Amino acid sequence: MTKRTPLQNVLFYFVIIVILFFVLGPYCWMISSSFKTSIEIQGMNPTWIPQTLTLDNYIEMNNTVPIFTYFKNSIIVSGGTMIFSLILSTLAAYGISRFRFKGRNLYVVILMATQMLPGILFVIPYFMLFTWIKSNLGIPMTNTFQGLIFTYTSFALPFSILMLRNYLDSVPKSIDEQALIDGCTRFQALYKIIIPLAKPGLAAMGIYSFIMGWNEILFATILTGTKTKTIALGLLQYITQNQARWGQMMAACMFATLPIIIAFTAYQKHIVQGLVAGATKG
Amino acid sequence: MKKIKLLGYLFILPAITAMLFVHIIPMGWGIIISFRDLTIRNIRNWTSAPVIGLKNYFSAFNNNVSTISQRYKQSLWNILIYGFFTISIGFLVALGVALILNKPFLGRTFVRGLILIPYITPDSVAFNFWRFIFQNRIGILNEMMLRIGMIKEPIMWLVGRNTLTAVIIASIWKGWPLTSLMLLAGLQTIPQSVYEAAKIDGASVWQSFKYITIPYLKPVIKTIMIMNILWNFHAYNQFRVLFGSNPGIHAEVPNTLIMREAFEHYNYGLGSALSVILMLIMLSITLIYLYFFRFRKED
Repeated sequence: MTKRTPLQNVLFYFVIIVILFFVLGPYCWMISSSFKTSIEIQGMNPTWIPQTLTLDNYIEMNNTVPIFTYFKNSIIVSGGTMIFSLILSTLAAYGISRFRFKGRNLYVVILMATQMLPGILFVIPYFMLFTWIKSNLGIPMTNTFQGLIFTYTSFALPFSILMLRNYLDSVPKSIDEQALIDGCTRFQALYKIIIPLAKPGLAAMGIYSFIMGWNEILFATILTGTKTKTIALGLLQYITQNQARWGQMMAACMFATLPIIIAFTAYQKHIVQGLVAGATKG
Repeated sequence: MKKIKLLGYLFILPAITAMLFVHIIPMGWGIIISFRDLTIRNIRNWTSAPVIGLKNYFSAFNNNVSTISQRYKQSLWNILIYGFFTISIGFLVALGVALILNKPFLGRTFVRGLILIPYITPDSVAFNFWRFIFQNRIGILNEMMLRIGMIKEPIMWLVGRNTLTAVIIASIWKGWPLTSLMLLAGLQTIPQSVYEAAKIDGASVWQSFKYITIPYLKPVIKTIMIMNILWNFHAYNQFRVLFGSNPGIHAEVPNTLIMREAFEHYNYGLGSALSVILMLIMLSITLIYLYFFRFRKED
């Protein structure tokens, strides 16, 4: 490694600080604004440090918009998406990773291709499909949690399966075979041996699908109603034609970021590995 | 042997069933209704919607048939411009930062964690605070630019001609960390000994970058580019959050236009046709890309 001269060192750290400012600046602005009074926010010449610190925005944010309810809705939808896509993609990934069957490669290609289709192509047919299910099968789908979970699970599946397949490929096959010889069935081998070994991969994938559900706006716009509105849409309600409650919105933004930050810090290593593997191998 | 094969099918069956109902059937359905005049009047019984052949497709491009075509063409142009700047600038930033973070320095792990913040921030949160930053009178961006004398008057970021610039800035901020992360992973696979050998042979910094770093990164760069180009067409959240459901002509993209056409004007058939065209464009771009760069799977 080449040694840097003191001048180069100063320059080097200066560049790092510039990068960090670009990355964190908008974040700091959100945090600082969430503690400002609404009078200060509406005033000219905004400053980075609040002139008077206040918790009003955090106290008031649920009175303006039922953000706690939306938060709960999002937890249900994203959590449900996470559970279902975990189950389905573990089975599918195990199938692709352990068995050689006709159409296996075709299936993998289809999985890759579906990731590329524009979501907008599905919005109108879904709307029709959900209307059709309701009038013919009597199961309500729009404005229900099951409708959203169904949608998000299927959109999380292709990437999850491919990512998990990569992970399972790295677990030696001989482990399964040993378990089979010891008298386990295939499902027991998967459940008792492979799943515990693949925990990091499963964690990364679970969080990926959770975040997907948390972020989604396109389908949520069409498929949710007053009862099931998710937090991503709820945040938009702070700004109306008549009033812009930026302070409260920033407070609600902080609140909406919380679960993602917690999940990410807990599993950062797995997520980073999983993303890089999924991206470089796919 | 036969039994094992059947078991394989059994494992992928649930996922296949889900995808059949969620991807394959709706896609076919979308294509079918793009040939029909499906509106709010016949949505409940779509088979009764009159078949109008290619009329919806003509509407997309022929100015004489409808007023939507001009808007649609503009939206395609906008998404190309948006994609070009977001991807290229985002990539350069990501590459620069990856090269810097690949050097040893104090607190490197910490900084690497911090740069992922834009990536993990939920879309709705990120674009909402950018919307606040871009505010004309009370936003910090105009304030900072005024203070250092870059501009004389506050810029209107969210209305009119600067809208596309605004959404490009916010999208670059949100998108580059993932690219950087992948490039960094690529950089770490390059053995140090190669650089050392090049240095002994008298190669300059630029030469080792050009003849060692770039060739080693090539596979990663190809993956990043194809992913970014395709994801570019998915862009909706940033436009919806920054500008509402109607971004105006300067920042209109196919996704926002189709959503309005289908769910505010209730022209489901036309909306489907517009999204089928979008899919065909994406497909051809992918094929052209694959053809020129001979994208092979290195297994």
